[in-house]
Amino acid sequence: MSDKPVLEIKNMRKSFTGNEVLKDISLTVNKGEVVSIIGPSGSGKSTALRCATLLETMDGGSLAYEGNVAASDDGGTMHYADKQELKKIRRCFGLVFQSFNLFPHYSVLRNVTEPVVLSGQADKKEACERAMKLLSRLGLADKADSYPSSLSGGQQQRVSIARALAMQPDILFFDEPTSALDPELTGEVLKVIKDLAAEHMTMVIVTHEMKFAREVSDRIIFMENGVIHSQGTPDELFNSDNDRLNAFIGKLES
Amino acid sequence: MQLSVMLSQLAQGMLVSVEIFLLTLLFSLPLGLLVSFGRMSKNKVVSAVVKFYIAIMRGTPLMLQLIVVYFAPFYIFGVNLKGFRFPAIIIAFSVNYAAYFAEIYRGGIEAISKGQYEAAQVLGYNKVQTFFRIVFPQVLRIITPSVTNETITLVKDTSLAFVLAQAEMFTIAKQIAAKEASVGPLMVAGAFYFVFNFVVAFVMDRIEKKLNYY
Repeated sequence: MSDKPVLEIKNMRKSFTGNEVLKDISLTVNKGEVVSIIGPSGSGKSTALRCATLLETMDGGSLAYEGNVAASDDGGTMHYADKQELKKIRRCFGLVFQSFNLFPHYSVLRNVTEPVVLSGQADKKEACERAMKLLSRLGLADKADSYPSSLSGGQQQRVSIARALAMQPDILFFDEPTSALDPELTGEVLKVIKDLAAEHMTMVIVTHEMKFAREVSDRIIFMENGVIHSQGTPDELFNSDNDRLNAFIGKLES
Repeated sequence: MQLSVMLSQLAQGMLVSVEIFLLTLLFSLPLGLLVSFGRMSKNKVVSAVVKFYIAIMRGTPLMLQLIVVYFAPFYIFGVNLKGFRFPAIIIAFSVNYAAYFAEIYRGGIEAISKGQYEAAQVLGYNKVQTFFRIVFPQVLRIITPSVTNETITLVKDTSLAFVLAQAEMFTIAKQIAAKEASVGPLMVAGAFYFVFNFVVAFVMDRIEKKLNYY
């Protein structure tokens, strides 16, 4: 096990047609840490996550997983690692989407097993065993043969968490995992994430659920206007005397 | 002419019609996929050329295209294609239908959400795996009704091969009708096309139901 941080982002910048969405984001996540990112819409939370998961290319700064550099800039021009290296780096992380993005034409089981088999991590039989273990842990064993469209939103999101976990990532990202769910379904998904936190799964969670972020996180990051406005332990942030922070947290808690 | 003689002649013509139909589908369905890739290409030259090709194919009569494919090599290059009538017909039909299928594929492909591509990317699928395992199976289900439409039109369009005097069903029906001075053979040909399409619609319906498993 390397002693390098699982995720290291330095001075990440990103613009969309002249609009600077990320101005200077630096974030280090160590093994076993749970980091929540909160902040108003448009603050750049999701963009930061998309850059970190290589769904967007960043315009400046550097990105590394377990010390393996995915992207870096040498004085202004971005360099991304070659295809082979990026493929290796992609195995370090998993991502749970706001809109689940399950493959609708695959059964729940195949959704979870196929990526594992294609990546060469395990053969079909082993992948099935791994998937069934995960599905029963998430209370979905009886849904293995169902298709995603027949599941509730909460169940679909739990399947997508199982799908991400089956790849055995070093770090798991969540992009507003409960924003598409009603309060009841939100609860069942948050419980799964809390259980993962209790097992010291390394996670970065973009969320609007303040109470949840406070309970589950080792560290909370408050983003605004493309920069990290403040960060600290949940207690530090929730008891801060910063007016802007209090205004944001207060608004969501009421 | 005896009814049985007429029916057997028409049935022979029908075999040719079925042949044109099946070969056209065989070539135009894969070709259409390639054309749709060209149409969606990020390369502006490629997409412009393909767009022009689709415009010509859809904007001019198929009958004229049949004539051009068969006679143009002679008028332009002095190459005589006599004896290559049937291949010329298959080429003209395939190239024409590929243009229509390409636009159907494009509609289907563009209906797949970006999230599907992103999920596949994060899970380590490469581009080929993403297309053939994730995107294309979903596209098939979306486009089946439109493909059924085109396929049924193709059955009737095979009759256009008469313009090159190919002995398919409609050509034969016209010949008998002229000889007998009766529209009867044409009506019978109409019934043949109807039955043919009835079968096509039945098969496509089965395919559609099979694809509707999720």
